[in-house]
Amino acid sequence: MAKFLGIDKVLSVLNIVKENGGLRASLYKMFRMDELKVGTLVGTDKYGNKYYENKRFFYGRNRWIEYAPYYHLDYDGSQVPAEWFGWLHYKTDLPPDQEPFRPKYKWMLDHTENLSGTPGQYMPYSTTRPKIEPWIPTKRC
Amino acid sequence: MSGALKLYSLSRSVSGRPSIFLRACGQNRLKSTSKGDYINVNPGEPGMSLNEVTDRAAEKVFFTELVRGFAVTLAHIFKEPATINYPFEKGPLSPRFRGEHALRRYPSGEERCIACKLCEAICPAQAITIEAEERADGSRRTTRYDIDMTKCIYCGFCQEACPVDAIVEGPNFEFSTETHEELLYNKEKLLNNGDKWESEIAANIHADHLYR
Repeated sequence: MAKFLGIDKVLSVLNIVKENGGLRASLYKMFRMDELKVGTLVGTDKYGNKYYENKRFFYGRNRWIEYAPYYHLDYDGSQVPAEWFGWLHYKTDLPPDQEPFRPKYKWMLDHTENLSGTPGQYMPYSTTRPKIEPWIPTKRC
Repeated sequence: MSGALKLYSLSRSVSGRPSIFLRACGQNRLKSTSKGDYINVNPGEPGMSLNEVTDRAAEKVFFTELVRGFAVTLAHIFKEPATINYPFEKGPLSPRFRGEHALRRYPSGEERCIACKLCEAICPAQAITIEAEERADGSRRTTRYDIDMTKCIYCGFCQEACPVDAIVEGPNFEFSTETHEELLYNKEKLLNNGDKWESEIAANIHADHLYR
């Protein structure tokens, strides 16, 4: 009867709002992510981004990332670290801590987002000695 | 109608007698003639009987098509969208995806590139510039490894040519910049990319190792 009248849809909306932490948090999430979804938390990376999965949605929408709260509205696609990149792009079904053959060397660097347009941006420079040395005139005494 | 008349008179003035085609044109349009002259595939002229005229007027007045169109729009509002919500959701990607370049290191931390310049030679866009020198410990290494990412066509020949798997095209595609010069990568930047993405690059190479 509830299904026939569509009340289960209303209940599921209420459930989604509840799962997302109340009306206020849900509204903020709607504002920030344009969407309100529930899923199981698969993992959290060391930058605070959370990764969710819900198989109810179709392939391509069933995995998503919730960028760490300190990014506010400055989230960006390049903030996904390399460890979780494969999972989020459906290359692997295993989260990085369970996947073998994913190396951890001590020389590996922390992830940085695309810094273009910020003071931290990359600027090209030469990595060799200049081949032409300019003539610096010596002062005549 | 006047066009047909003009054509008619034109053909008449040229040939002196009306052709069969033009003669048939003025009379019943839908019937194909027994001689097989032509078949009219156009919809016939709209009928002018009271019934047909009323039907046409009713369609125009009652906006049925407009209402049906709005109904389709309304239905799609409640449907699940077929698009993905980037950057929160991302599309599937192959382990063979060729994105931003990276220079890899051996597990010991030693850089792989030995400056054989095969990538520079094979690069069809000539985007790679390499200069090599002997290092203090006697090993041959590059002093300059520049890739002009704006010349690069992402063909992947460099990673195919590399004998030591040093230069690879990593999985990253989110490296767009605001200026041109930021895309002129040097060795430092490429090694940094390798150090940042090694986890994913190694996983991709392992995922594809049976096929190479």
